[in-house]
Amino acid sequence: MTQAAAPTANTATNTTISVSTTIPLSPTVKGNAHEHNHVEDNKELIKRVIETPGCFMHTVKGTVPHLTPDVMRLQGFGGVHVSIEQLLQDHQPAGFDKWPCTLSKFLNLQDMVLLCDLRDSSQYAKVPIKSDRHVAIKTHKGVRQLTLEEYLKVVRAYQPDIVATMADQIADPDFSSGSTGRGSVSDGESESQGSPSTGLGLKRVKRSVDRSLKWLDQILMDRQGMDALAADRAADEAKRRKKKGTVAGGHSLRDLENQAQEILKPDLATGNTVTAATSIPWTSVSVFAHVLGSHVEQERVRSAQETAKRDAVDGFIVDANPLQGSSKETLLSLLKVSLDHLPVEKPRMVYGLQTPEDVLRSIALGADLFDTTYPFHLTEDGKASLYSFGYDNNNISTSTSTNCTSGVATTNRWINLWDDEHANKFVPILEDCRCYACKGGRHTRAYINHLLKAHEMLATVLLMSHNMYQYSKFFSNVRQSIQDGTFEQYSASFVEQFGSEPERTGEIHAAQAIVEAALLKRNRLDGSNSNSLSSGRSSGDGDSSSDFEGDQGAMSKKDRAEARRKLKEQERHERKEKNRVEGLKRKEEKQQRLTNETREP
Amino acid sequence: MKSALKWDVVAKCGTTKARAAVLTLPHGPVNAPVFMPVGTQGTLKGITPDQIEGLGCQIMLNNTYHLGLRPGQELLDTCGGAHVFQGWNRNLLTDSGGFQMVSLLKLAEITEKGVQFESPHDGSLMLLTPEHSMSLQNSIGADIMMQLDDVVSSLTTGPRVEEAMWRSIRWLDRCIKAHKKPESQNLFAIIQGGLDPALRKQCIEEMVKRDTPGYAIGGLSGGEEKDKFWRVVSQCTDLMPREKPIYCMGVGYAEDLVVCVALGVDMFDCVFPTRTARFGNALTATGTLSLRQAKFKDDFRPIEEGCDCIACKSYTRAYLYTIVTKETVGCHLISIHNTAYQLRLMRQVRESIIEDRFPQFIHKFFKDLFVEKTAYPEWAVNALKSVNVDLIQGEEQP
Repeated sequence: MTQAAAPTANTATNTTISVSTTIPLSPTVKGNAHEHNHVEDNKELIKRVIETPGCFMHTVKGTVPHLTPDVMRLQGFGGVHVSIEQLLQDHQPAGFDKWPCTLSKFLNLQDMVLLCDLRDSSQYAKVPIKSDRHVAIKTHKGVRQLTLEEYLKVVRAYQPDIVATMADQIADPDFSSGSTGRGSVSDGESESQGSPSTGLGLKRVKRSVDRSLKWLDQILMDRQGMDALAADRAADEAKRRKKKGTVAGGHSLRDLENQAQEILKPDLATGNTVTAATSIPWTSVSVFAHVLGSHVEQERVRSAQETAKRDAVDGFIVDANPLQGSSKETLLSLLKVSLDHLPVEKPRMVYGLQTPEDVLRSIALGADLFDTTYPFHLTEDGKASLYSFGYDNNNISTSTSTNCTSGVATTNRWINLWDDEHANKFVPILEDCRCYACKGGRHTRAYINHLLKAHEMLATVLLMSHNMYQYSKFFSNVRQSIQDGTFEQYSASFVEQFGSEPERTGEIHAAQAIVEAALLKRNRLDGSNSNSLSSGRSSGDGDSSSDFEGDQGAMSKKDRAEARRKLKEQERHERKEKNRVEGLKRKEEKQQRLTNETREP
Repeated sequence: MKSALKWDVVAKCGTTKARAAVLTLPHGPVNAPVFMPVGTQGTLKGITPDQIEGLGCQIMLNNTYHLGLRPGQELLDTCGGAHVFQGWNRNLLTDSGGFQMVSLLKLAEITEKGVQFESPHDGSLMLLTPEHSMSLQNSIGADIMMQLDDVVSSLTTGPRVEEAMWRSIRWLDRCIKAHKKPESQNLFAIIQGGLDPALRKQCIEEMVKRDTPGYAIGGLSGGEEKDKFWRVVSQCTDLMPREKPIYCMGVGYAEDLVVCVALGVDMFDCVFPTRTARFGNALTATGTLSLRQAKFKDDFRPIEEGCDCIACKSYTRAYLYTIVTKETVGCHLISIHNTAYQLRLMRQVRESIIEDRFPQFIHKFFKDLFVEKTAYPEWAVNALKSVNVDLIQGEEQP
C-alpha cells in the first residue's frame, strides 16, 4: 500500500508549491494467486522509496532503452514504468495461468518500484475503437482489444507495486483528424465526432469519464476480492434474454444495464457490495487512477472529484499525451484544473509534460511524479543535455553553437553530437559530470560523434547514460530547493538561462539523415518514415547487412499498405474523372450534331 | 627485428601441440591461447569498454580500413591513437586493411604497388600501399599490427596463388622498412600460399628470415573445405618458430578454436560471436540457442547455467525472447554473453593445458556440443587424431 508522509506545508497562493514527500512503498513480495511451481524466494517486507518530486524510468518492453541492467542502475532512479501493451502480445493473458513469478522478478527489477500501465507513457497512440467493455491497445503486432477481465488477469499475474487503471483516453478531436470516420455504431465508436463544443464531442468525453469511473470501481472491487464482473455478466444475460424476446417490452437495453449496475453498485466508502468475496484479493498492489476529461473543463473537474471520492485509490495519473494538439499554456491549465481537485496527500503523476521547464511548472501546480521520456527523446536525436538546476550552474559548457531557437536562452541546454564541430573535441560531454559516459573523461565528444556517424550502438548507450543521469540530478536538485525554499527563485533563473525546449518536429540532423539514407539503401528497406525514431536501428559494420527488426519494419509494411490503398483510391478517382469528362464530351458532340442537323436544310 | 613483446610458455600439452603462455604487450599481459573479439569501428557493437574489461578481455581488434576512413588518420594523430580515442586501456590488434578492401569493394585492383580501389564515399581512386598501411597503423597505435599481404581467396587455384605468396613476402619487406614504431608496436608477418603445402613451406622459410615478433596464418577461413584447412594449419605450426606466438586469422567457431589450439595455434579472432548475437543467437556449451524462436517464450532458465555474464545473471530466456532483435538492449546482452562464452572457453582450454588434462577437456567439449559421436565433424576427428587425440575410440580419462 502506498503511504505518503504528510506534507509539511502547502501555500495556497498564486503559485502552489508542493513540498517533497517521501513515499515508502512496502508491498510484500508475494507469489501469484494461482497454483504455480515457482514461489517467490524472498518473502520479507522490502521497502523501496521514491522521493517526490520524482521520476519513474520509462521503458520499452521492460528495459530502459539502450541501457543494460548494470548501467541502468547507475542513473539514480528508484522506479520503473512498464507498459503492459508492449509485453502482452508475447505473453497472452491466457498464458498467465502458467506465469511463474511477479513481473518484478521476470524483469529483474525487484530493487525498484514497479509501476504498470496499459500504455506507453511517452506518447499517445491513437487507437480506433473502444467500448464499455474494452479498450484498444497497441502492441508491436498491431492493435488488439483488451477487456477488463483480461486486464485484471494480467494484474493478478504481474503483481506490480503500482498499477494504473484501465481508462478510456481520448485525444483532442482536432488533433485526431485523419481518423477514418465513424466506426460501427453498436459497440464501438471512433474518436473524432466533432469538437467538444458541439453536443456530439461532449457526449463522447462524458462517456469516457463515466466508463473510466466504472472500470475504476470494478478494479477496486476486484482488488478486495469481490466479483467485479457480476454486473457486466448480468447485463449480458439481460441482453441475451431480450434478444430472445423473453423480456417485457418497453425497457431499453440501457435501462436493463443500469438496473443491473444499481443492484451491484459498491458502497463507495467501504467498497463492499452484496456479493461475497469470490477470489483472492491483491491488496498489496497500489492503484493509481487515471483522471480524464479531455478538453472539457467541467468534465475534468467531474472526473477528478469523482475519482478522489474513491478512498481506496492510492494515487492519480494525469495524462497530457492525448492533448498534445493544444498549446503548452492550454495543457498546463488543463493540468491545473485536474490537480486542483485532487487530494494533496496522495501522489499525482503526470505523463506528457517532461521537458525541464514543463516539469518545473507542473511541480508548481502540484504534480509529484514524472517519467524519463525527455532524456529518451534527446538520446534518440543524438543530443546530450547540458542544463542543470540551481546548485551547479557553474558546470555549463560554453559551446558556441546555438541550438535553442526559442525563448531567451543565454546558455545551451543541450548539444547535438551529430554536429561537425564536435568531431575534434576531445573532451567529455560535460566537464565534471559524474555520469557513466563522462566520468574521468573516458568517452569524448569526438568519440561519440564518430560513433553516431559510424552508426554504432555505443553512441546511444553513452548518450542515454548521460541524459538519464542529468535528469535524475535535476530532480534531486529540485527536491533540495523545495526544502531550502529556493524553488521559485531557481525555477525562474532556469527558464531565464535555458529558455524552453524547441518543438520536437521529428526532423533529424542533416548528418543523421545522410547516414540513415545510406543504410536504407544498403538494407533495402523502403517506405520507412523518417519520423520513426525508434530504437530499432540496424547496425553497420561494413561487411554485413545485419537486420535489426524493430518498428521500422512494421511501419514500412503499414505504409506500403497505406500507399496501396491511396493508389487505388487515386485510380478510382481518376477513372471517375475520365468518365465524367468523356460523358461531357459525348454530350457536347450530341448537341453539336443536333444543331448541325437542324441547320441542315 | 626489434620486438615489443614477450612470449613466455607456461605449460605444454603432453599429448597435442597445444601450449599455454603469457604474451606481454605494451598495454599489459595477455593469457594465451586467446580469443580476440572484433571491435571493428573502435567499439565492440554496443558494449562499453568497462563491460569488455569486466569480461576479462585483454586484447581486441580494430579495423584499419574502417578507422582510416572514419575518424581518419589526422584525428587519431591529434588525440594520440585508437586506445585513447575509444577509452580502451588494454591491448589492440589491427589488421592491415587489405582483407576489407578485397572483400568489401567491387573494384579493387591489385598491383605490385599496392591495392587500388574506389573510395566508397566519393568514388575516387585510392591506393593502399604497404607504406600507407604502416602509416595508418602507426597512427592507430595498436600493440600488434599486421603486414599488408596480397590476399587471395582460399578457393583460388593456379599461378595467382604463388604470385600472391611472393608478393606478400616483398610487401613484408616494405612494411618492415616503413614501420616507424617497432619499439612500441609489434609487426606480424602473414604466411600465405593458399592450400599448397609446397608454397606454404617456401613462404614460411622466407618470412622466418625476417624475424618478426610474431606470425599469422593467413589466406584461410574463406570457405575452403575444413579438411584441407586443418592440414594447412598443422603444417604451418610444425614449421613456424615455436618461440613466437602463432595467430590464425578469422577463426572462429568454438570447435574450430579447440581443434586449432590442439594443432598449436595461440591467437584467434572472429566476428562470429558478436555478429550472431545481433540476430538473437546465443552460444552455449551445448549448442546455439536461437532466442527469437517462440519455444523460448516460457523457458524461465538463464541462457546458460553457470555463466556469470550480466545477461545470464539478470534475465531468463523467456524475457530475452521478448527483446532480442527488437531492442538494442537485447543485442547488447547477447553480445556480452557470446563474448563471455568465447573468453570462458579459452580460459578453460588454457587451464586444462596447464593442468595437463587438455585431451580430457577436448573429449568433454565435443560430447557436450555434439552429443552423439556420429555427429562429430569428420575434419575435427581427423585433425585431432593427427595430434594423438582419438575422439571416436579414445575415452575420457577419469
